[in-house]
Amino acid sequence: MVQLSKDIIGTKLSNFEYEIGREKIKEFLLAIGEENPIYHDQEEAKKVGYSDTPAPLTFITSINFWGNPQWLDDFDKLGIDVKKLLHLKESYDYVKPIYPNMKVNYSSQVADVKIGKMNMVTLVAILKDEKDDTLLKQESTIIIRPE
Amino acid sequence: MKTIKFDDVNQGEEIPSIEFGPIKQMDLVRYAGASGDFNPIHTDPTLAKEYGLDGTIAHGMYIMSQLSRVCSNWINPNQVSNYNVKFRGMAIPGETIICTGKIKRKTEKEGKRTILVALQAANSEGDIKVSGDFTVIFI
Repeated sequence: MVQLSKDIIGTKLSNFEYEIGREKIKEFLLAIGEENPIYHDQEEAKKVGYSDTPAPLTFITSINFWGNPQWLDDFDKLGIDVKKLLHLKESYDYVKPIYPNMKVNYSSQVADVKIGKMNMVTLVAILKDEKDDTLLKQESTIIIRPE
Repeated sequence: MKTIKFDDVNQGEEIPSIEFGPIKQMDLVRYAGASGDFNPIHTDPTLAKEYGLDGTIAHGMYIMSQLSRVCSNWINPNQVSNYNVKFRGMAIPGETIICTGKIKRKTEKEGKRTILVALQAANSEGDIKVSGDFTVIFI
């Protein structure tokens, strides 16, 4: 495994397309206990300005993992040992709602690396729809526990 | 869902809290399936120990997701422009988590009205697991 270093700043990770399944959103809602009717009932969603039931605020995680089965290899190539990985920070800027059946494009890159007692990596990502409009911006910071 | 008006919200006020748990191993398995994050530190007690932990820990994102319900149950999520958290402590099976929110800042500048709501998820002893905030835009 390569040694984690600042050299990976700017490195682009797997860029992928993903079609968002309605059932996948339902499964996610169930797992997080989200019962707000706007997520389950199209009429309720339309009442508050959506065109369909939207994906919940943290659904991007499901796109991150299910959309990119290569993520372990990506991390390995960057020198990130997933066995020692802990999540430190997560941030989303919401631009447009994410809906079922959308075909989205996800692209991410390494924004920062800090080497110290705890090594730290910050990734930034953009989720876009088929028209190339940005839906969401993501920033994730992970730490790698020392030996 | 009732509409929240900018004028009805005051700095320092708490918004309705939620509680979930006790967290069961099955909840984490279910979240692993939904999110696709099958890291054994969350799903497999034996492997979690081999990785140097006392047992499985909840996905940070599971807690962030549960915490997001404080936001989505209070206001139309369409008005939320940012949601960010810091993971501060590991949550483990058996713990009950209380999620709270408080109006941190209210601003009105050049016709743009926003409020910042601070969020926190802590166990019943008050140990903080996740903290953060979300921004709401009023048109």
